Amino acid sequence: MKGPVRLAILGCGAITRSEHIPSAMAHPQVQLDALVDADLSRANGLIQNRGLTCKAVADYHDLLGRVDAVINALPNHLHTVINQDFLSAGVNVLCEKPLTITAMDARACTELAEKKKLVLAVGMNRRFAASHPLLKLVMQEGLLGTVRDYDFQYGGAFDWRSASGFYFDRAKAGGGALVDFGVHMLDSVIDWFGPVTAFDYQDDDWGSGIEANAILDVKHDGHWGEIKGRLRLSRTFSLKNRLLIRGSQANAEISVQDPEVVVLHRAIAGKAVSQTLRLDDYPAGSSYLRQLDNFVQSVATGSKPEVDGWQAVRVLELIENCYAHKRRIPEPWAETAGTKVARSEARA
Amino acid sequence: MNWRNETVFVTGATGFIGGRVCERLVQAGAPKVRALVHSMHKAARIARMPVELCPGNLMEPETLRQALGDAKIVIHCGLGNAGAIVRGTENMLAVALAAGAKRFVHVSTAAVYGITPPPGSESEDAPIRKTGDAYCDNKAAAERVVLRYGRRGLPVTILRPSIVWGPYSAWSTRLVDDLRGGRVSFIDGGRGACNTTYVDNLIDAMLLSLENDRALNETFFITDGDKVTWGDFIRAHVAMMAAPPQVGDASPEEIMAARPKAVGMIMGSVKAAGRVIRSKEFRELLMRIPVTEALVKWAWNWVTSLPPEKRDRLRARFGVRRTAAVAAKNGKYIPDPVTVATQSTTVFFGIEKAKRVLGYEPRVRFGEGIQRVEQWLRYAAYLD
Repeated sequence: MKGPVRLAILGCGAITRSEHIPSAMAHPQVQLDALVDADLSRANGLIQNRGLTCKAVADYHDLLGRVDAVINALPNHLHTVINQDFLSAGVNVLCEKPLTITAMDARACTELAEKKKLVLAVGMNRRFAASHPLLKLVMQEGLLGTVRDYDFQYGGAFDWRSASGFYFDRAKAGGGALVDFGVHMLDSVIDWFGPVTAFDYQDDDWGSGIEANAILDVKHDGHWGEIKGRLRLSRTFSLKNRLLIRGSQANAEISVQDPEVVVLHRAIAGKAVSQTLRLDDYPAGSSYLRQLDNFVQSVATGSKPEVDGWQAVRVLELIENCYAHKRRIPEPWAETAGTKVARSEARA
Repeated sequence: MNWRNETVFVTGATGFIGGRVCERLVQAGAPKVRALVHSMHKAARIARMPVELCPGNLMEPETLRQALGDAKIVIHCGLGNAGAIVRGTENMLAVALAAGAKRFVHVSTAAVYGITPPPGSESEDAPIRKTGDAYCDNKAAAERVVLRYGRRGLPVTILRPSIVWGPYSAWSTRLVDDLRGGRVSFIDGGRGACNTTYVDNLIDAMLLSLENDRALNETFFITDGDKVTWGDFIRAHVAMMAAPPQVGDASPEEIMAARPKAVGMIMGSVKAAGRVIRSKEFRELLMRIPVTEALVKWAWNWVTSLPPEKRDRLRARFGVRRTAAVAAKNGKYIPDPVTVATQSTTVFFGIEKAKRVLGYEPRVRFGEGIQRVEQWLRYAAYLD
């Protein structure tokens, strides 16, 4: 493709305001043509507020075939149909996570993109934090020795103020914490450690299908052999918010607060030592700008994006399996008052 | 009246007490629970249950009418800021009366007698006097409004719990954080009356109120009935910790000596000013200035639109951490005046009336409550 990529952004909610518009404005090969929102005043407000010259569009059908690419940042339940409409019209798609609510829909979108020879990339911005490729290098260099297991925690009081508030509606969101930020965590660990071959999943859904807390124990069997891991997610409590990988020679830690570095913990002459590693020649800018750049290069050259639809299919299949085989997290403190409480269960 | 056949409407449902009310109603098989939700993003705990999340604001009666829907039972745990305590309660009462509500349980507080209830306030018929504290005085005023609506035909009951504790309660999470940070002392040996009210015991009283016609237009103290002191409460939390901290004693003389010094007064004033600036009342006044409102809204929208990991980084950069350590002076921590006042009462509230009229019996005693709280604190990663 010659010339700039003509881009439209679908949905003018929180993530578009904070990340997609700044990234599109900063990218030299992107020409932002339109902001799409059913609430036209929201799109116009953003255009005015950011000094953009693009147009505001209420109905995305008006753009079919008139742009080269779109970023789909609409609520989850709108992803499938709109992705398919744009792909069918010959438009490349970068879709916010999760690609779709079901693995079947993700597969359909991915197959359509392949058939049309178009790029379908999935918004997994954490792949573009420097720590992601850096951890691969650390393992390749054998700095951890044999990787044994990992503990990945991410949680805090939920305060994502989306414009539509779809996240507490099972039909629109597809689930709770697991399908929300769990997709990021699963995408990362599958990319690092290989496919998940066994799992045990628990959450605290009391019947709405929108869990606030989830605990997922997994076993990977990939290039590094068998690795066990635990992922813990919470929308109600602050967790450790880090990935800790334990190896025979050293441990590696990636903090959510600083995803650009990997911290190695090991012992030298019996003394505990920490060492912060960073990639010196990694591209500047936010992970969203790097993600957009990867998408733009894929559109321009026809190369495979860093996170394609098939990876999303793998993650969504695992999530569906988790939901299908879930157990309730024991909450003895919430049992009817006056009953005996089992002390050991809550320590699990 | 059998509430088990009715739709129940819960205000304050995203808070500690209201959230547990929703859980208990779901556990008890209530056919439909409607939850008033002011800030949708705070609803993660109740969103996991089959509860209808009804957007609304206690200060906007029209939203309350819509949120109430067909519910005929209201459990009012909603709070809001000092002004909203009275106005919001009155709005809810008016909407409930107009909708023909069959029951209205109002969650008040024993603090209507002040942060340090004086001797003589052990029973419900003790006279309430103005205390000068906005929260206490507004809760007392809200009770008067509730009783007024009771006289107009709304079937109301007022419950006055004291220190409501249990899983999710800030009394425990803040205490653990403060213990870890060296910010706890026993006030006068920890002899003050704690008046614990385990959240499930309070909810038992709510449900009993719904079933009992003798509860109408009545006011009840609700506590655990155990004479738990603040020393007991603090020591029980110390015992949960992997590295139990040493907690010193702050005698009345030491507390007095720490306060009147000029530096102390200046620091106290600075801290008090900080509290005023952070208070909801001040923010509301500030927001009446159009330019400030626009700026604050812009900044707030910007911060809240950031992805969670970016907000985490901002919090870390500006030192908003759960366990920021504060060095104790001379190995002794002198608590702030509100804490001192809270922990200095000698009054244990009586629950004889609740037992006699409602058939209330606290089912979770202190020991079991502590066990439940400890389990939850471990699960919620407050304890290692």
